[in-house]
Amino acid sequence: MEQVGLAATSDVTLWSLFMQAGFVVKLVMLGLIGASIWTWAIVVDKYVSFARVRRQLDQFEQVFWSGQSLEELYRTLSDRKSSGMAAIFVSAMREWKKSFERGAKSPIGLQMRIDKAMDVTLAREAETLEARLGSLATIGSSAPFIGLFGTVIGIMTSFQAIAGSKSTNLAVVAPGIAEALLATAIGLLAAIPAVIAYNKFSADAGKITSRLEGFTDEFSGILSRQIDERLTPRQAAE
Amino acid sequence: MKGSLVASTVFHALIIGFAVSSFTAPRTLEVTDMEALPVDIVPVESITQIQRGDKKAPMAEKSAPTPTKRPDPVADAENVGENDADLKPVEAAKASPREVTSQAPPKAVETPVPAPEPEPKPAQEVAKAEPAPEPDPVTPPKPAEKPAAEVEPAPEAKPEPAKPTETASPPAETTPDPVAEAIEQAAPAEPDFTALPTAGPVPAARPKPEKPVETASAEPARETPKPAKPAKPAQAAGGSSKKSDFNADEVAALLNKQDSSGGGAKRSTETASLGGSKTTSGETLSQSEMDALRGQIQKFWNIIPGMADGGDVRVIVKMRLDPSGNIIGDPEVSATGGAAGTRGTLAGSAKRAVLRAQPYQLPAEKYDTWSEVVVNFDPSQMF
Repeated sequence: MEQVGLAATSDVTLWSLFMQAGFVVKLVMLGLIGASIWTWAIVVDKYVSFARVRRQLDQFEQVFWSGQSLEELYRTLSDRKSSGMAAIFVSAMREWKKSFERGAKSPIGLQMRIDKAMDVTLAREAETLEARLGSLATIGSSAPFIGLFGTVIGIMTSFQAIAGSKSTNLAVVAPGIAEALLATAIGLLAAIPAVIAYNKFSADAGKITSRLEGFTDEFSGILSRQIDERLTPRQAAE
Repeated sequence: MKGSLVASTVFHALIIGFAVSSFTAPRTLEVTDMEALPVDIVPVESITQIQRGDKKAPMAEKSAPTPTKRPDPVADAENVGENDADLKPVEAAKASPREVTSQAPPKAVETPVPAPEPEPKPAQEVAKAEPAPEPDPVTPPKPAEKPAAEVEPAPEAKPEPAKPTETASPPAETTPDPVAEAIEQAAPAEPDFTALPTAGPVPAARPKPEKPVETASAEPARETPKPAKPAKPAQAAGGSSKKSDFNADEVAALLNKQDSSGGGAKRSTETASLGGSKTTSGETLSQSEMDALRGQIQKFWNIIPGMADGGDVRVIVKMRLDPSGNIIGDPEVSATGGAAGTRGTLAGSAKRAVLRAQPYQLPAEKYDTWSEVVVNFDPSQMF
């Protein structure tokens, strides 16, 4: 592709428009294309991971409420890396086990420790769910402005070229403006999916987190009952 | 994450590749060439003050009148017109009426003919009566005396012939009776003949004037009756016959003596340049110049807004200007219509405005036109 002067050509294909653009505009366009790539990478990643998390939650809930022994479930889950509800369950069971192995005396202290452990795990899980959604929000809100910046710079240089060529012919002006507008177009192209994806995935993450919180409270209740059942007879026996 | 990043990059590469390959140069807009409308801004003078010419001809420095329709010019013609001969317009116009008047008199001559008609009859009768005296050329003078003396006392010429006749008369006194009777008969007969004017033969009319001359030479007595006779027939003819109604003088009065507008032969052989269908005066102030003058005065004219009936007042300003546009003397301001108080106020303010607005900017070359200016104002247009 030959490098041609602004006024010397009326070639307005996308590629020639890009090649005609000035350095700043090119940089803006490349940056916006990069942002778009990153947006879609996040979209794909989140879509896949959220689907997996949802599937795991369903599977775990099915297993958990199937009446299976909690000890048995803990044994199968503890030796592999788990996420979501399984991670919360494992962290709570681990704390339970530790406390009973060492012969915990206070049921209240045990209850508090188990809750803390589950809260920490829940927070960690929520963090992984919402990871990179912030960058989607950033791209969605700032990409149009970046594109606009490229347009303004492009039109500015275009007008400088008009001043240089001493001609106000539309054929001279048009390619420069078209090229400048391409920057805004790319900015919008990156921003629109980013905004949509951010809204969708933040809502999805909120749903999954609340589901985890629900499980946490439920499991906390179960454990609390177990603690009462096991510690009170022992104290009474003593 | 790495996998999804790769997937996204590939996805973008595909999209951009598709866009670059499919979004080629858009079709160029087919713009039909618009026909440019040239607009000239021309001053109003070009409409109000134009030279006769051809409206479709191009603008030229020199204006030429439209060529006349018959393009055979007379070489040394000095007068403008359509004639073949180079005539001065006034002369050409007067020539024809003269011819007409000259034709009229012959008719007047013909019509008097009926008047003489009565004459021949008395003459003939006289001639009939005469045969007696005619044979004697010497005797006729004698009978002439008495009838002359009897009929007309006035004639001076009669005494002279009478004297010689008196000497010779005595023998001839017998003849005077028939002659005198004949004359007396002729005299009473006159009214009859005048009453029957057409009875007499027309061809005989012309010889008759000759006969009376002959008889007059022979008989002085007959000269006297004749002058009396023509006067009577003329009056009688005037009353009776319509042909005699014709009066050459009256005809002349009815003729069209207006000068015709023709004449002259000069024609232009030059091609007509831009102009109007007729030549207008270039020495009048154009509408725009008059507006400019009015505007100049109006600018200095402070009209009190809301003046009660200012709408009815018309102000007329007459002023004399010198070539530099200043007013000479006192401008004459008159106002009409409306209430007296308003009229006075407006007239006063108009006068002040006129005085303050000088010097007036008007085209110097038309000073003749605006040396005296009359400007009409309608104050209601200025509120």
